[in-house]
Amino acid sequence: MNTKKENLSYWLFLIPSLIAVITVILIPLLYGIYTSFTNSDGFNMDFVGLENYQQLFSDSQFIESMWFTLKFAFVAVIGVNVIGLGFALIVTQKLGKVTTFFRTLFFTPNLIGGLILGFIWQFIFNRAFVGIAEMTNLDFFNGWLSDPTTAYWGMIIVFLWQMSGYIMLIYIAFLSKIPYEFIESAQLDGANAFQTFIYIKLPLLAPAFTVSLFLTLANAFKVYDLNLALTSGGPFRSSEMVAMNIYNTAFLQYKQGYAQAKGVVFLVIIILISVAQIYFTRQREVDLS
Amino acid sequence: MKQKWGKKLKYFLLAPFLFILLVGCNDQNSTDSSEGVKEIEFFNQKPEISRQLEELANTYSEEHEDVNITITTIGSGEGAAGLQAKFTSGNPPEIMMLGGTSEIDRYQDTLLEVNDLEVTDTIMEDLLEGALIDDSLLAIPMNVEGFGWMYNKEIFKKAGIDPDSIKTFDDFKEAVEQLDSQKEDLDIQEVFAFSGAEDYIANQFSAHFTSPEFDHSILEAYEASELNWEYGDRMKAYTDLFNQYNVQPILGVNYSQSVEELFINNQVAMVHQGNWIVPTLNGIDSDFVDEKLGILPVFGEEDESAKIVAGAPWYIGINSDIDEDVKEVAMDFVDWMYLSDTGQEVLVHQMQLIPPQEGYDVESITDPVSQKIYEEMLNENTSAMAHNQYPDGWFQLVLFPEFQRYLDGYSTWEEFEKNTSEGFKEMREQ
Repeated sequence: MNTKKENLSYWLFLIPSLIAVITVILIPLLYGIYTSFTNSDGFNMDFVGLENYQQLFSDSQFIESMWFTLKFAFVAVIGVNVIGLGFALIVTQKLGKVTTFFRTLFFTPNLIGGLILGFIWQFIFNRAFVGIAEMTNLDFFNGWLSDPTTAYWGMIIVFLWQMSGYIMLIYIAFLSKIPYEFIESAQLDGANAFQTFIYIKLPLLAPAFTVSLFLTLANAFKVYDLNLALTSGGPFRSSEMVAMNIYNTAFLQYKQGYAQAKGVVFLVIIILISVAQIYFTRQREVDLS
Repeated sequence: MKQKWGKKLKYFLLAPFLFILLVGCNDQNSTDSSEGVKEIEFFNQKPEISRQLEELANTYSEEHEDVNITITTIGSGEGAAGLQAKFTSGNPPEIMMLGGTSEIDRYQDTLLEVNDLEVTDTIMEDLLEGALIDDSLLAIPMNVEGFGWMYNKEIFKKAGIDPDSIKTFDDFKEAVEQLDSQKEDLDIQEVFAFSGAEDYIANQFSAHFTSPEFDHSILEAYEASELNWEYGDRMKAYTDLFNQYNVQPILGVNYSQSVEELFINNQVAMVHQGNWIVPTLNGIDSDFVDEKLGILPVFGEEDESAKIVAGAPWYIGINSDIDEDVKEVAMDFVDWMYLSDTGQEVLVHQMQLIPPQEGYDVESITDPVSQKIYEEMLNENTSAMAHNQYPDGWFQLVLFPEFQRYLDGYSTWEEFEKNTSEGFKEMREQ
């Protein structure tokens, strides 16, 4: 009898979130997949079968955006994790108040929204950099956002700036969970700081890598606000990421069916990459208990 | 006892969940029908006039007790998507500002024919064309806007150039070279500050050269299945000229740098802009517009006559899918906006718009540039706003990137013409 009652309240509590998930995520997802088989312009739609998906393969701009996003994600994921781990190692040194200060400092950029961060950096690239160029006569600092290569690096820099502090927090959590005995015994065996890091800390950080890599991958693929505020795809659509390409197709060209098809393909690619990443990083995890 | 409380607490916790759920399901329409008050929603896509529109709506609502007009503003490029969201949500506005023929076309099934409106008879003939879908007039033009080379009269004067003496493109080129040679004396950075970072500037600029190809008819431009750049050579000549004497890197010059910093501070002599920058300029330096601002037309078609591009970028449409009495009120409000003294005063002086109607005294329009545009409009000596009639997304996704490529030396003019023509044809077909 008791279990029956428990069951009832279990479902009662679950229902609100279940309804939310179904109405906000599941139904739109299914409807979106259906839309991808139509020529919807957001107003009228007819079923066109696989036409949208066929069109995708000859859409050079979409493929270029996909490449750009992949290149971006690759460098961004490595960069964010290297810098994030570096920060975490710095601020877990026992140096008293200084470390707390740096923890806050490194994390602060993450508190600023992507749009605002984008505009701030746009100002830095367009004004501060040009100011430096004028002062030093170094052409290197000129027109960062008006050249495809530097616009790419500009995006990377701002993304690293934004995400590294956040990922740092995850590494800090895992670093402080490493039992001190391990480190102590390594030191007794004569390991120096570098060796302790490579042979003790790094293997034990494997679960942290799983989490951080997943988060950075997902975030790097989905970037839109930063892209919009910083370059808005420019110059000449060379820095247009997939999310922006999809938005433009849907809301500038009003080809919403086609945009949905792009969205579905994008979703599949992200799922494949994320699942593969989780599968491989999980294998490296060590069970301490 | 305590245990019982614990169990009850659970259901107390559940209550807010259910509350949110029930509120979420509440039908919006139920709030609308409070005893005979006719609710009108005006969808506005011009954020810069939202305050004045609200005042106008309040004045009208005060005069008519059974009417309540609310203004919804979504603008800065997101208006079209916003309006679409309104329609898909099943809660479309009663009156809506529409961005040109393509938007009118999209919503044609839910737009009321506006021939019966009193204001329609007073509108300039040329402007109505853009709202004609299958020979029925579905919206009225909101206002007139015009653009060309905005120049600084003072700098021209100091350099000894009389703008009226510019009769051909070569004269214009000479004037530019003359300005450039005196850069230091004039204390300017460069002659031009063309914003190569803004897609709509490239789009507007192109209209000088595409309008003649479409016989200066926006309807023809809207129906055109291809664009062949018949006047592309002229566009190239202008582009090469300003690119040579522009603030660089040109692709990094955005609107605010071009207008709010360089132009208003006398750092450049010319920008490609329209009369909508007047309120902004007035806000920064109240004397600038009256003393220094002028507009130069463009030799887009031929060497003998230069024209400003002018027309109605915005239209006002009325929803046909609403109750008859609400429809009456919506029509009356639009008439009142354009025909009553209060409405006209707000339109011309507070919103600083150029009225789409004939019969205004030119002097009553607030600034010299707007006066000039209004005059040229009455004399029918303008190019059409062909740039509003391009296929959806074409200027953002094809014209602008290709133009940037040319400006930055990544491609030749032939490639520019070829790629944009192909894109035009392709996107028009869909």
